[in-house]
Amino acid sequence: MAQARLDIANLRVTYAGNGQAGVTAIEKVDLTLEPNDFVSLIGPSGCGKSTLFNVIAGLQIPESGAVALDGGSIVGRPGCVAYMMQRDLLLPWRTVLENVTLGPELAGQPLARARDTAMTLLHRFGLEGFENAYPAALSGGMRQRAALLRTILCERSVILLDEPLGALDALTRASMHEWLLGIQREFQRTMILITHDPDEAVYLSDRVYVASPRPMRIAGIVPIELPRDRGRDVTLTPEFAEHKRQVLALLHAPERARSAAA
Amino acid sequence: MSRRNASLHPGSRTKDVAAPVLLMLLILAAWEALVRIFAVPTFVVPAPSEILAQIYLERAMIFGHLQVTLFEIVAGYLLACVVGFGLSVAIVYSKAFRRGVLPLIVAAQTIPVIAIAPILVIWFGYNDVPRIIITALVAFFPLTVSFVTGLESLESELINFFRSLNANGLQIFLKLRLPAALPNIFAGLKVATTLAVIGATISEWVGASAGLGYLMAQDTQQINTARVFASLVVLGTVGILFFAFIGLLQRFFMPWVYGRPRFLARPRRASPAAATMRAKQIGTSAR
Ligand SMILES: Nc1ncnc2c1ncn2[C@@H]1O[C@H](COP(=O)(O)OP(=O)(O)OP(=O)(O)O)[C@@H](O)[C@H]1O
Ligand SMILES: [Mg+2]
Repeated sequence: MAQARLDIANLRVTYAGNGQAGVTAIEKVDLTLEPNDFVSLIGPSGCGKSTLFNVIAGLQIPESGAVALDGGSIVGRPGCVAYMMQRDLLLPWRTVLENVTLGPELAGQPLARARDTAMTLLHRFGLEGFENAYPAALSGGMRQRAALLRTILCERSVILLDEPLGALDALTRASMHEWLLGIQREFQRTMILITHDPDEAVYLSDRVYVASPRPMRIAGIVPIELPRDRGRDVTLTPEFAEHKRQVLALLHAPERARSAAA
Repeated sequence: MSRRNASLHPGSRTKDVAAPVLLMLLILAAWEALVRIFAVPTFVVPAPSEILAQIYLERAMIFGHLQVTLFEIVAGYLLACVVGFGLSVAIVYSKAFRRGVLPLIVAAQTIPVIAIAPILVIWFGYNDVPRIIITALVAFFPLTVSFVTGLESLESELINFFRSLNANGLQIFLKLRLPAALPNIFAGLKVATTLAVIGATISEWVGASAGLGYLMAQDTQQINTARVFASLVVLGTVGILFFAFIGLLQRFFMPWVYGRPRFLARPRRASPAAATMRAKQIGTSAR
C-alpha cells in the first residue's frame, strides 16, 4: 500500500466577507504527517480547525500555501483523504450497512464486495446485528462508530477526524479511546484528530499540535513520549501529566501573554 | 421520525379507524333525523338514505360518468407531477430560471382556471386534452412548491460531505437531494390528489359531454339535488381512496420513517471467506 505522507506548508485561509475584507481563519499553518502517524490538533473553539480539515479534504481553496499528499498537490481535489466531519451525518434513509458502504458506492466500486467487507467489520465496530437498522435506532456512540466505519471503508491512507467523540459522555468516550487507538493500529492509517480535550489528545497521539485562537497558527508541538501500545493506566503516570501540562501551557499561552502585557 | 408516533402514522389500525367512522355515522344519523323531523324537501337537502338509494339506483349511469372523470383525474395528476417535478428541478438548479419563471408561475396561479377553459377548448378541441390540462393546472402549483422546498431542505454540510467523497452532481441529486426531499414530495403529492379531483370536476363544466362534473352541472340545472349529492359522495370517496393510495406509496418508499413492510424484511448474511480476507487486507490496501 502507498503509505502516504501529508505536507502542509504556509497555509493561509480567508473567508470572503460581504464587501469588507474577509475573515482570516488560518494565518499560517505548517504540518507534516509521516505514514501511520496519529496526531491531534487541539485549539480553542472557532480557531479554524474544521476550516483546516475542509482545505485538506479539498472542499475549500486556501488563499495561499500548499497541501501535498506524497508530493502531489491535493488543493481543491476532494476524495484524496477520508474525512469524518464534526457531525456524524449518517443518512437517515439508509440502513447502517448502506450508510457505511457509501464511499465505495459513490466511487463506483462493486457494491457486493463493499458490503461483504463491511459485514465482517461490523463486529469490530460494535455494530453487529444492526446492519439493517436505520440510524434513528442507534445510540450516539453507535452512530459515531458507524460514521467512523464509513470513513475507514473509504480506504484512504489519511483520515481526518473532526471531534469524532465530541457528542459522547465521559464514560463512553474513555472506552472509545482505547477502541480508536486499536483501530488505528490495526488498520495502519495516518490519522489527524481534532479535539478540545487535552487528555484525549495526549492519550491517543504521537504528537499534539496546539493551535492559537483565530487566526490560527500552530502555537506549539508536543511530542508524546509514551509507549505506542499504551493502556488506560498510562493516564495516571507522571509522564502523562507532564505532557498534559505542556499542552495546557501552550493552550493558555495567549491569555498569559495578554495579561502580562496589561 | 420514529415508528413510535402512532397517532401521526397509524399503526394500530382498528383503534385509529374506529373514531372517525363513529363520528361519521353520528353525523349521518343526525342529518337523517333532522331531514325527516323537519320534512325537508329532497330537492333542498336529500337525506343520506336517499343519497345512497340514488347511488344504487343510478349506479350504471354514475359509474359510466365516473370512468371519464377518473381518467381525467389520473392523467391530469400525472401531468402535474411531471411538469411540477421538471419545474422544481430547474428552479433548484438555476438561479436565472428561479428569478425569471417562478414569478410567472405564481402570477399564473391568480388566474381563475375555469376562465381559460373555453380558450383551451378552442386550442385543443372538444376532447379530453383541455380538461386534463385544467386538472393539471389546478394541481401542479402546491406540488411544485413542496418539491422545491424538499429539494432545498438539504443542509450544506451534507453536500460538503458528499463532495468530500468525490460524488458527482448526479449522485448528489439521486442519492442525497431526492431522498432528503421525499417527505416534502409526498406532502405535495397528497395535497395534489384532492386538487386533481376538484380540477377534473370543474373542468367538465365547460365544453364537456360526460363525466361526474358534467352530470352534476346537468342535475343542478334540473334541480335533481339527490343525484348531485350522489355524485358528490362518489367523488369524495374517490378523493379519499386516491389520498390513501399515495399514503400507502409513502409508507412503501419511506421505510426509515414507517418501518419496513413485513414482506420486505430481508435478513442479509455475508460470510464468504473472501470477505474476511478483504477485511484483513483493507488495512494494507488503502490508497
Ligand atoms: N462559511 C464561513 N464563512 C465565514 N466565516 C466562517 C465560515 N465558516 C467558519 N467561519 C469562521 O472561521 C472561523 C473558524 O471556523 P471553524 O469552523 O474552522 O472553527 P473550529 O476551530 O472548527 O471551531 P469548533 O472547535 O467550535 O468546531 C470561525 O471564527 C468562523 O467564524
Ligand atoms: Mg470545528
